[in-house]
Amino acid sequence: MEYKQQNDNALVDMIDIHKYFGSVQVLRGVDFHVDRQEIVGLLGDNGAGKSTLIKVLTGFHSLTRGQIYFDGEAVDIESPHDARELGIETVHQDLALVPLMSIARNFWLGQEPTYSVGPFKFLDKQKMASESIGALADVGIHIRNSEETVGTMSGGERQSIAIGRAVYFGKKLLILDEPTSALSVGETQKVLDYTIAAKEKGMSVIFITHNIRHVYEVADRFTIIERGHKLGDFYKSEVTETEVADMIVTGQIPERLRLYDEAVGEES
Amino acid sequence: MMQAYLENKRDASNIGTFVTFLTLGFAVLGVVIAYLVAFGWMPLGERANTLRSDINIVETIVVIASLIYALCCARTGIGLLQREKSSLRWSQWMLFITIMIGAAILLSVIIPVGLKFALLLGQDIDLRAIINNDPGVSDLAPLALSVGETLIGISLFLIALLSLLTLMVFIIPPLDVLRRIDGISMIVSPPRRLIMAILVVMAVGVICILIAGAFVVPLYPGMTTIRAADNHRLLAGLLFFLPGLLGYRFVRQVEEESDELRRAIALTPGKYIRSELAKSPSAGAIIGFIAIFMSFTMATDLFLEPSSVASFLSNVATKGIIAIGVTYLMISGEFDLSVGSILGVTALSFMNFMTHGAPVFGVMEPIPAALLAIFVAFILGAINGVLLITTRIPSFIVTLGTMLAFRAITLVAIAGGRILRYSDHHDALPVIGVSNLVFMALVVIGLGIVGFTAYRVLPVWYRQAARAWSIRENNGDFGTTTAIVRTGIFLLTLLVIIIAVVWLVAVFSYHSSAGGGQIVEIGYFGLFNGRVQSIGSEGDFFHMSIPRNANVRLAIVWWFIFVAIFHVILTNTSFGNSIFATGGNEGAARAQGVNVDRVKLQNFAIVAILTGIAAIYETARNPGVDPLKGEGWELEVIAMTVIGGALLTGGYGSVVGSLLGALIFGMLQTGLVLVGIESRLFAGTIGAIIIAAVVLNTLVRGAQRN
Ligand SMILES: Nc1ncnc2c1ncn2[C@@H]1O[C@H](COP(=O)(O)OP(=O)(O)OP(=O)(O)O)[C@@H](O)[C@H]1O
Ligand SMILES: [Mg+2]
Repeated sequence: MEYKQQNDNALVDMIDIHKYFGSVQVLRGVDFHVDRQEIVGLLGDNGAGKSTLIKVLTGFHSLTRGQIYFDGEAVDIESPHDARELGIETVHQDLALVPLMSIARNFWLGQEPTYSVGPFKFLDKQKMASESIGALADVGIHIRNSEETVGTMSGGERQSIAIGRAVYFGKKLLILDEPTSALSVGETQKVLDYTIAAKEKGMSVIFITHNIRHVYEVADRFTIIERGHKLGDFYKSEVTETEVADMIVTGQIPERLRLYDEAVGEES
Repeated sequence: MMQAYLENKRDASNIGTFVTFLTLGFAVLGVVIAYLVAFGWMPLGERANTLRSDINIVETIVVIASLIYALCCARTGIGLLQREKSSLRWSQWMLFITIMIGAAILLSVIIPVGLKFALLLGQDIDLRAIINNDPGVSDLAPLALSVGETLIGISLFLIALLSLLTLMVFIIPPLDVLRRIDGISMIVSPPRRLIMAILVVMAVGVICILIAGAFVVPLYPGMTTIRAADNHRLLAGLLFFLPGLLGYRFVRQVEEESDELRRAIALTPGKYIRSELAKSPSAGAIIGFIAIFMSFTMATDLFLEPSSVASFLSNVATKGIIAIGVTYLMISGEFDLSVGSILGVTALSFMNFMTHGAPVFGVMEPIPAALLAIFVAFILGAINGVLLITTRIPSFIVTLGTMLAFRAITLVAIAGGRILRYSDHHDALPVIGVSNLVFMALVVIGLGIVGFTAYRVLPVWYRQAARAWSIRENNGDFGTTTAIVRTGIFLLTLLVIIIAVVWLVAVFSYHSSAGGGQIVEIGYFGLFNGRVQSIGSEGDFFHMSIPRNANVRLAIVWWFIFVAIFHVILTNTSFGNSIFATGGNEGAARAQGVNVDRVKLQNFAIVAILTGIAAIYETARNPGVDPLKGEGWELEVIAMTVIGGALLTGGYGSVVGSLLGALIFGMLQTGLVLVGIESRLFAGTIGAIIIAAVVLNTLVRGAQRN
């Protein structure tokens, strides 16, 4: 099947995404896009397919059908490595860190800094330690010793480390899959602040959460997924917080918005 | 108390004075012990059973060590007399070392006695026979033990052992140790009642030792008549152990007194050792290694004989090489049961290529044959890896299958009961003429390595020493000793490097001179895994010959080299990092862009190649291949890896651990024979020790993680 990019200026444009796990059809033709310097709240009930959608985007899962455009070009993201090369950093809901490894090693996993001795490359442990401590301090986690194993840290601390890593390495797109689920009020506010800071630096953000208040505060637009389908895209100016919450729960678009949505659809 | 003492207050407590004079007392004791050991009062080493006045190597080392110890104690004591705060830390360390010395000496009596009694238990053995097997006591009066006496002996042994261990484990760190050291608290406080029970046992034990030490009751029947030396050792052990413990407790109390003092002794020996151990995945193996090494050293005089050491090293070297690969694989969360069969197939291929020939190449010379055989091993490993990542079947099943399948190759290729021997096809073992140019080239490479090391290490050591001196200048005299030690390290390294260079140059000049200019013939197999008879050739400086009865194999050297290389790869490269991540949390590793399938495939290949290399060494040592070659190795190698601290579930382990695991395994194999455990009990004993080792590893890891 031939695909065509639909949103010309989008950073990411995912078209007609299908993802089946065997006979389980998790995503059934989802169109999803993120504009440049935009924060998109990706919302939906438990099991709607949000994590699956972003795992497809980050190469963790392969597509069953569909096409992804990144920066205006059709791309085949075959592995998470490809996604990171494109400048996409992700904080996964369930795949954050390796508990038995140290903070520094987790932080740099997959792109360790090295120095060369002849043909051999060795880890630059000094840089690993100092930069990871520095980068984490920037996002408000102060660690004494980057050699500490992650397994000894609290859930919130771990989540903060994963976020700090994504912020540090992210170039174009930051994906946060329920980043604040284990965080205190203060820490959550910090995450929301970096999200806006990232946007101001020119990045785009996909923010997945069940806490609508958080995402309503920072997002420019909401995409709601309902059991493998997209319910719709809504700019913050069009909807109230309660309407978003209702849509997630009921899976129905209110009358007022339905007309509006169709009108928008015709325009573009 | 110490506070008042250090501030030289009028009401300074007696405890400060006590610690000071205790330390000085230990200095004197160190000198006395050195003197007594030198003159045969407390024989050590090869012939602990007999009082003799000539001095052996172990005794020489002990004499030197005691003198150094005495010097340090004296320095500390004088420091305390002058109210130096820095001496407080030193006194702490010296007392700690004192306790350890005392414990070691006491154990050196208790362990052999215990093992002897353990041997008696349940076996209908004539004690006379055992005593007669013991060199040095054969001429003493035979002794018969009743069951009752044996039991008393065993219980005394157990109580004494337990009490010593409790003293060391529970007293040295104060009982309330639930402190966080860099965020990791080390020891979980045991339930109170348990502590009370242990304290009671301990008290009884100490009393037993005291009584025994005071010659009132022999620790075991006939002790005074068998070993006068044991009594001397008990006495010496007690002199170090108990006062040391008392003094250490006093110094540790300082912690409660003032911030300043607390800072002065912040890094206590217990904390230091535990935090060092906590960093290492092989902590359990290190403890086990020390314990088993000490036990055998003390239990039998034969254990440290060059021939025993060489034999256990030679026996485990090849398995140790495979264990390196298995460790890699296990850290990445997989498992290989087929290494024994891969070993068999590789050995068969190697031999076959040299005797019957390979398909394209015909009958081959040893080195090409070895390379091709290792390639065969690589293919087998790749089969394992590809099967695993394509089918996603657990590696246990995949390699169980290939273990049987690969074994079929050797079973089919070599007819039942036969052995494929090199000597059946060739008249003589293969030799290679090595020109002196090769030696000269080796020297050049060696010089390069030494030069590079010097270039990397010397400036660092030098800078550290210089810094220590400048710190000392800015701090009055505080830090003199550190400065001296740092300078010593620098000078020693410099010395070693100079010696290495001189030696290499001497070797070079020997081989480039007319006398050394001929071609040297070396057995090919010797090149792989020959018996090392000397270090350096006859004409070289520093020529060292190895005792005739010591079977030192070249594979040992290869093993250590491989350990070093693979340790660096695992801990210092991105590849190593990916291995840990793959086993620790495959999903997270993949999400960060690690190609976990490739990592696993590579690890299967690494195991297979190392197994192939091991097969070449094995075949070179004994140029014959039977169909069952390598059978059962897979489990032994896994045992070594697990003893070494690797987690079966992946994500954790170390190459050095595998080295220690293999050494422990080897020490047990040789040591149990030497102490006379019956061969039928051998497998059972090893099994028990494996379980104990893994329990130890789990405990250590649990303590690390909390
Ligand atoms: N690897 C897999 N194999 C089979 N089914 C899967 C797999 N991963 C996800 N699913 C299914 O896909 C559906 C969507 O899962 P997904 O994790 O994307 O939901 P989600 O929207 O992120 O939910 P939550 O808000 O709970 O995180 C679920 O029903 C889940 O069972
Ligand atoms: Mg999810």
